[in-house]
This record gives sequence, C-alpha cells and structure tokens, in this order.
Amino acid sequence: MEVCGTHTVSAFRSGVRSVLPEGYRLISGPGCPVCVTSQGQIDGAVALADVPDAIVLTYGDMLRVPGSNGSLADARARGRDVRVVTSAMEAPDIALASPGRQVVFLAAGFETTAPATAAMLSEAAGRGLRNLSILCLHKRTPPAVRALLEDAALGIDALILPGHVCVILGHAPFLFISEQYERPCVIAGFSAESMLLGVLDLTIQRARGETALHSVYPDAVKSEGNRKATELMDRAFVPCDSVWRGLGKISSSGMRLAPSLKDFDAELRFGVSPGEPPEPRGCRCGDVLRGRITPPECPLFRTTCTPAAPVGPCMVSSEGTCGAYFRFYKGGTVAWEIS
Amino acid sequence: MGDFLTLGHGSGGRLTNDLVRRITSVFPAPETPSAFEDCAYLPDGYAMTLDGFTVSPRVFPGGDIGKLSICGSVNDLAVRGVRPEWIAMGLILEEGIAEEEVIGYMRSAALVCKELGITLTCGDTKVVPHGAADGVFITTCATGRRETARNLGMHALRPGDHLILSRSYGRHGATIAAQRFDLDVPGLASDCAPLWEPARALLDIGGLRCMRDCTRGGTGTVLCEWAEGAGVGIEIREDDLPRDPDVLSVCDILGFDPLYLACEGCMIVAVSAEDADTVLSRLAQFAPCSGAADIGVVTEGHPGLVGMRTHIGGHRVVDMPVGEILPRIC
Repeated sequence: MEVCGTHTVSAFRSGVRSVLPEGYRLISGPGCPVCVTSQGQIDGAVALADVPDAIVLTYGDMLRVPGSNGSLADARARGRDVRVVTSAMEAPDIALASPGRQVVFLAAGFETTAPATAAMLSEAAGRGLRNLSILCLHKRTPPAVRALLEDAALGIDALILPGHVCVILGHAPFLFISEQYERPCVIAGFSAESMLLGVLDLTIQRARGETALHSVYPDAVKSEGNRKATELMDRAFVPCDSVWRGLGKISSSGMRLAPSLKDFDAELRFGVSPGEPPEPRGCRCGDVLRGRITPPECPLFRTTCTPAAPVGPCMVSSEGTCGAYFRFYKGGTVAWEIS
Repeated sequence: MGDFLTLGHGSGGRLTNDLVRRITSVFPAPETPSAFEDCAYLPDGYAMTLDGFTVSPRVFPGGDIGKLSICGSVNDLAVRGVRPEWIAMGLILEEGIAEEEVIGYMRSAALVCKELGITLTCGDTKVVPHGAADGVFITTCATGRRETARNLGMHALRPGDHLILSRSYGRHGATIAAQRFDLDVPGLASDCAPLWEPARALLDIGGLRCMRDCTRGGTGTVLCEWAEGAGVGIEIREDDLPRDPDVLSVCDILGFDPLYLACEGCMIVAVSAEDADTVLSRLAQFAPCSGAADIGVVTEGHPGLVGMRTHIGGHRVVDMPVGEILPRIC
C-alpha cells in the first residue's frame, strides 16, 4: 500500500502499475487529507462561510468536497467569500487587510501542513490579530496507519510510507509497522523512479524474510525528522480522537488547538460544532481507503459518483483514489500496450 | 447542488463541454454544423469566431488581457486555415478602473492587429457598477476568409496520422498560476502569441488534416476532444513532448498536470505520416514554434481514448479534466 495520495497520483501519471511484474498489487491508502476530512467537518466549514462578513480561506482541493448541505464551492457560488490559498502564512496578511471582517483559515492536512499552521498562529498571536481564527482539521498519520494494520481483513504485505510526512516526523513514529506488525516498509520519494526503488526494496526485504523500515529518500528525509517543525506542532496542538471519512473514529489521530491558543479556535468563537452525519448510502470509500476493493468495484463508481458530482470523498480530490481511477482507468483498462 | 454554476463549469474540461451542449441544444442546429471546432465556416469562404476574456491578473509575464483578447480569437480562425481580417470588440469595464490602464490593454491589442493587418471594425463599451465585473472583461469576434478550400476539422483524422505539437505546452496556465499563488519563477512567461503565420505556412501541405490551438483545458483536453469527436484512438509519447522545466516546477509545487494547463500560442497539428517532417521543418521557421515535436499518432484501436507511453516505459490514459483545476494541499 502506498499511504500517501501524492504517491497514488504519481503512480497513475507515470504508469508505475503498468511496469510492475505480475503478482504485484498497489493499493492506495488513506493519505489524501481532503478525502479523509469528515462530512461533519465540511458542514462546519460551510457553516463558517455562512457567518456574516466572514472570509474563509482554504487549500484548493477542499473546495469541492461535498458536505450534507453542499460544498465550499457551492457556498462560493452562493456569494460567500471563500478564497483559495496555498499557504497558511497568507492568512495573517488577509486578516490585517480586512478589518471588521472575520477571517477563518481551514487548517487541513497531515503533519506536512500542520507546522505551517502552527507558525502562522504564533505570528498571528504576536501581531495581536483578533479577527483571525482556524477550523482545525489537521490529522496525524501514524495512528491511522496503525488502525489499518489492526484490521485483520486487510491484505497488505508491505507499505510505501509518505515521504513528505516523514520529512517532518522522521523514522521513529513509523517503526511500529516493522517492529509490532512485522510488515516491511519503505520511505520513498514521489518520482516514478523513487517509487519503483521503494517497491524493489520491499521485494528484497520480503525475499529475505526481513521486516524493517528503510528509506530510499535520504536526500529529503533525515531519520530524526525536522525538529523545528515538530516542536512548533507540539506547542500549538494536542492529539485528540478524530473521525476519518470512511474509516470512522481513530484514537489520537486528530489535532486540536493547545489551551494557550484556544482564542484562535473558530469552533469556540462562532459556536460551530461539526456533527457526524451518516455517510452517503452505497458509498464504499471506507473499503477503498482500507484497500479492500478498487474503485471500479464500487457500484457508484462512474455511475452516480463522478468528479463532477462526487458522492464519496475519494472521488473529490485529484489525489483521491477514486478520482485518480476515474481519470486514468477508462474503457475497462488502465492502460494498453503502446508501441 | 447542480442547479448553480460553479467555476468548474468554466474551466474548459468536461463540465464546460457538457454545459455548452445544454446551452446550444436550445437553438436549432445550423445547416453547416461546426460543433466543437474552433471557428465556424460561413458561406462564400468567410469564417467567424468569438471568445470572451477574463484573466486575473490582467497583466502577466508575456502579455496582458488586451494582447490575449486578439490572439485568442485570431488563433481560433488560424487553425482552420482562415486569415483573420476584421475584429469586433466588446468591453465591459468596472467602475473605478483607471482609463489609462484600459488604454494600455487597447495598445497591446492594437499592436497584434497591426502585425497581422487586422482592422477593428466595430465595438461596444459598457461600464458597470463596482463589483458587477472584475475590472475588465473583453469579448472579441474575429472574422476572415479561408485561404484553403479544404475543410480542416477533426472529422479528417485518420489512423496512422502523426500529431505535431508546436511548442512546449502549459506555459500560459503555469504563468497565471504562478502569479496567482505568488510563486517566483524567473524566465516563465505566457506563450500568448498569434499563430496565423505558422498555421498559414502549413495550408498547402497535402496531408494536413486539422489543427487546434490548445487554450483552456490544455493539450490533454484537445486530444480527448479529437479522440471522442472523431471516434479514433490517440497515442502520445511522454518522452517526445516538448516540456518546459519552468512549467514542470510550477506543476510540482501546485500538483497540476501540465497536460491540462492552458496555452495561448501553442497548437496541435494532425498530418499524414509522410508529411509529418514537412510540417516540422515549416514550423521551425517561426520563433514561437522552434520547439515543435512529433508527439504521437492516431490509431484505429481504442476509439475515443487517449493513451500515453510514459517516461518509465509505462502506460496511462489521458482523460479530460473535470471541474476547476485546484492546487492540492501538500
């Protein structure tokens, strides 16, 4: 399984599956932050967009994720002020330039984006910005991987670990995979070559009967990770239980604001509390995220669930497994022999 | 949901395609359909096209909305073998914009018109209240006369035809994205340029089938429209695509696929196998087409689909993008 959505897209774009020998099956895991954001959290974000005079800042691919009452893109089409940003650090400037309005940053993503949110909050606190808050949607990767490995029905022999997350966390938080669950794992980069090198490493480990954590991405990933980033995160957030779309509630897999930063909590400031509406009927995103089925095995795939009108989260993001399958799996074939 | 238009309906991919079909279905079908071609052939050798321009930012490396508004329409004529001769322009201006800024865009537009010998024949100027438009919207209608009797269009595609891409792709989209998301990429500029001269140079080539400028939706969308519209298969080779490292770096950061990024001065030419080299050598005489490359072929197999042989020797399907192209989280 490749845990990370960026690996999923890279594999499709470069045709990695088509060059793997027979007997290999690459399963796409839950590593797309947009995909696993729960419907209740999207409802919370849309509710914040409906607050009079609010400006909601979001990473781009959150826009289309469907909640129970539509998506942020729908809110924007209704005239709500929803803006796409590529960095948390844009939020303080927008807040400063918008006196009299409330700016809410949708802080989504794994350990890759959480340090930037933490740094931004520290700057916002320093500048005394009172019209800025965040809806904290950040999630922690290792507990989700552990939850997957606890699932007895899961048929995963080895894991390709998320390279970007490992840049921040280093090796230690993932050692349980090889040590407790006895699965070989490898930290790989995002080029096709790096992914294939990762698959080769896993193959050799398996052939030798080894289970270890290896890295084929040493240029970017230090074994101790990025201390500065983890310290920032640890100061700003405390772990909490969190609902992953398709996977349900996973213990300690979320982040909420540390008590010292609770003034920045949009849920408290605006009295918005994400509920947990039931997941859409027939949607098998949970099974897709667990690697139990491939998207074409879901009855909704390409019939009622398309990127234009996604039912489940995996269809929404360009990195979602179903979205990737939709774009790259066509006419009953992922690819064909090209001379 | 579904009752309101979102920005995805304007991004040039599948949603746009479907919306245009629904809109045009209200009208009776024309006697000479040019459905989903870049311009319409009219009686007596005339041809016509129309395009609306909204771009943010309005000034970008390599051009501005004025230059864009002429190149966009002119290129739609050029790729069907039509010499652009007259242009009509509609301006919608937002209250509060500086007149000098508007005049600046008109100077850029006039420069392209002068270069190609195009006359501005008529126009319309409206000023709307603050907030009713985003600065400047320009619509241009270009007309001209055909310089070839052949009916250039995707219906002419045949298995075995070669596909020539006139330059590295995705530059306009990458430039605009870099500006919008504050990425500093020195040397990256839009490819915005008129294509009439290079297109004209190909018109007497016997094996010329059709041409298309890859605008909104990018190269990938054009290939998909051809495969679906003509009921043929298309296969391209990633290693032969003329790729630009600056475009790729923007794509890496934002998670975009360069195949779907807009171009404004790049076209795909379909030509018989025996005339492919002639197309390449003729294009090489024009600076904007100096990077032209033979990127793939039309096939009989897998009609309606576009496939790509990837750099690592793998294969993938190239599909039309759906909805707004959005930067990813990480």
